[in-house]
Amino acid sequence: MNNNNKRRTYFISGFFVLLLVLIILAWQTLGTAPFVRTSLSGLTLGSLFFMVAAGLTLIFGLMDVLNFAHGSMFMLGAYMGWQFYTNPTFIFGTAPLWLAFATGVFLLPILKPFLIRLELSESWQNALPRLAYALMVVFLLIGLLGVNIMEMADTAMVAITTTVVSNPLSEIGPQEPISSFWIRPLALFLAGAMTAVGASKPGNKKEYATDENRSRNLIILAFLIITTIILTIFREALPVAVLLMNGNLRFALAILTAVLFGFMFGMVIEITFIRPLYQRHMFSILMTLGLAFVIGEVVHILWSPLAYQMVRPPFFAQPGKAETVWEWFQNGNATLNVFGVTFPTYRLFIIVLGLLMFVSLIILMTKTRMGMIIRAGVQDPEMVEALGINVRQVFTLVFALGVAMAALGGIGAAPFIPVQPLMGDQFLMQGFITVVLGGMGSYIGAFVGAITLGMARAFGDYFALRLSLSPAIAEASTVIIMIIVLLVRPSGLFGKKE
Amino acid sequence: MSEHKIQRRMTIRNLLQREKAFLIFILLMVAFPFVLGTITGTGINHGVTKFWQGQLIVFFVMAVVAMSYDLLIGYCGILSFGHAAFFGAGAYTTALLFTHWAPSFSTKYRIFIPGGGDITGILIFAFVILMAVLASVLVGLLFSATSVRLKGAYFAMLTLALAEALHILAKASDFIKWTGADEGLHGVPVPAWINPTQFRPRFYFIALVFLFVSYLFIRRFTNSPAGKVIIGTRENEERVRMIGYNPVTYRTLTFVVSAIFAGLAGAMFSMWNMSATHSMTSTVITVNALIMVILGGMGTLVGGIVGAGLLQAFSHFFYDWFGPRWPLMFGLIFIISVLFFPYGIVGTWRLKRLQIKEGWARLIALLAVKKE
Repeated sequence: MNNNNKRRTYFISGFFVLLLVLIILAWQTLGTAPFVRTSLSGLTLGSLFFMVAAGLTLIFGLMDVLNFAHGSMFMLGAYMGWQFYTNPTFIFGTAPLWLAFATGVFLLPILKPFLIRLELSESWQNALPRLAYALMVVFLLIGLLGVNIMEMADTAMVAITTTVVSNPLSEIGPQEPISSFWIRPLALFLAGAMTAVGASKPGNKKEYATDENRSRNLIILAFLIITTIILTIFREALPVAVLLMNGNLRFALAILTAVLFGFMFGMVIEITFIRPLYQRHMFSILMTLGLAFVIGEVVHILWSPLAYQMVRPPFFAQPGKAETVWEWFQNGNATLNVFGVTFPTYRLFIIVLGLLMFVSLIILMTKTRMGMIIRAGVQDPEMVEALGINVRQVFTLVFALGVAMAALGGIGAAPFIPVQPLMGDQFLMQGFITVVLGGMGSYIGAFVGAITLGMARAFGDYFALRLSLSPAIAEASTVIIMIIVLLVRPSGLFGKKE
Repeated sequence: MSEHKIQRRMTIRNLLQREKAFLIFILLMVAFPFVLGTITGTGINHGVTKFWQGQLIVFFVMAVVAMSYDLLIGYCGILSFGHAAFFGAGAYTTALLFTHWAPSFSTKYRIFIPGGGDITGILIFAFVILMAVLASVLVGLLFSATSVRLKGAYFAMLTLALAEALHILAKASDFIKWTGADEGLHGVPVPAWINPTQFRPRFYFIALVFLFVSYLFIRRFTNSPAGKVIIGTRENEERVRMIGYNPVTYRTLTFVVSAIFAGLAGAMFSMWNMSATHSMTSTVITVNALIMVILGGMGTLVGGIVGAGLLQAFSHFFYDWFGPRWPLMFGLIFIISVLFFPYGIVGTWRLKRLQIKEGWARLIALLAVKKE
């Protein structure tokens, strides 16, 4: 063990020395200006890679699930943020529906203690969940038939194809009147409630449920119900309010929306699709592959396979170059002078975003109880469970957290990478390479790996251009880096020994 | 599942006796063009009959890909995402040799057998196929060499990366002179006697024989002593090593056999399309093979054929039913299959068949008791 640690230390220090030598060499051969420009674009890329890889590495480290759907989560984050920023009709139009359903499902912890105490005959015990699920389907049909999702999804597409100069509010069309719409959230709430009834297995004495968190659960339920009602009532007014907002604030809210969406989406995916498959590892990988496939197709249907360009928020959009950071903050210039190099400010923002995420991840992992449990879970999940901690809940949270980070990367990338259904695939591949380089399960490793990889990509592209090779060679070189690292040191830089 | 039966000596005759369903399927496929040709009255090289032969050719080729993948995932228990590399290596080698080497060679040299017959074309064809097999076997050996150190998810990622590297190389504009980069190689001059547009029925029967021989060979391989050791490594690698077999050797063997058939299928596919494009090395091929095997049933071989048939049928009919976004339906079916039917169609059927038999036995026993 000690010997192994020593070897690891040698390996890491050797790696950093090599990196330093390479950086100095590059500096000497390129000269300052190209060097700064290339390394800044490398850092931008690395920062995005980190946002994808952090989730991947945590999910793999804790639950041994290789999440092939992570690229799709990245893409979904970009789409959600883009929708919110350009025309949020789709988000606010559908939010009451699925929020109502979620509220219904949240009845589960409240209903379950009562339902399992019921005295039911065995035939009723079998029949009641089936009845509930059948009712759920009926309610779902009542709630969802006739909802014109496609038209709502099209709004942002229309907004982007018409000229930017025109009033974005002109794209907001009338929706179904509230007098007939109110029945849909209600039906979906009932459908969710029926799901909760079915899932709680009424009358089954083998089930176990505590009642101790009832007041907390009731408060959350009340909050959810009120939010749903508010969203239902202001369904048409909210998009207008958002579009009238200051662009920077709207962008901040778009980031928040994407992250929140990622968190909830990750939770739902984990509970419904990944959780039943923890016992069969190969199948959990296959499941994520299938999910990636389905998510990609759904996005194709909703937004057609075109590439959209999200407009940069005004803080990064004023033409002209800022000489100092202070000037940028005052005017919101599109480019900034960094050591004599003109560099887009938005890319600097991405670097800062990645760093902020890294710092908050460190704080979460080292300073909180949650992080302690996660770190322990990476070491030995069975032991953590034996100590009386609900590891399943932690799994769900970590999965949701990972997806939220990927979604953050997606919305971060949206203003300078075309938003299209395949945008996540490349980042997934690079995320895998990063994770392998840094070591599975280590977020610090993911950071180091991401920065290294981003730099390698940027400098590779630069040299490929100089030697008049195609950029494909630089792309292939990162793959080759991964192959070499896997063969020389399968556990990566900071990974635990298998 | 069939391994529960008492082992008889595996001769080809026994094999044919056991594989009645497969033989019936092959006979149906042999009769298919003639029957359809007579019904529609178009002759077997025209119209609807020709079109359906084309669909079935793709089905046969993909069935072999699925079977070779099943050998890895179902029999050896290896999750590899690099199957497209085998397929692509076969396809690209065939297309490259036919485009850049065969014409110049055949104009320079002619080879005759002593009687005076010209066998240059046949020799070139045989050489190209041999080279395609060799290329994919080399990739297979590379994969198996890395599998010594890596297991599970790490190995899956490595194979994904290796296949991706090949995909990037196939797309790279640096080799545009040879591979055609993004466009790929088109109009590959395949030998005239096998030209799929001119002699569709001939190509159809070649593909059918290819499927038949591949199935028999892989079935024989999995039933051989080596195949049993391979199944053993899937179940418990340490124990196999303890008994005295080297798992690495057997894994390498599996990879080689799998690569040979995937490479041959790639060669067939590129000859059928008369082209080689970078999509033949993309992960789509691997994912398709995976979906076929999962849908049909892992570790059954027949499952691969069933899955390939379903995929081919779905891609034809779903387009009419659901429009251009039919893969969504397909993905949903895949997810449901992974969640609820992990043994696939063939595997689930075999499980249920046993249950049904037991149910019959119980019913008969019940009736017998009542009679007394």
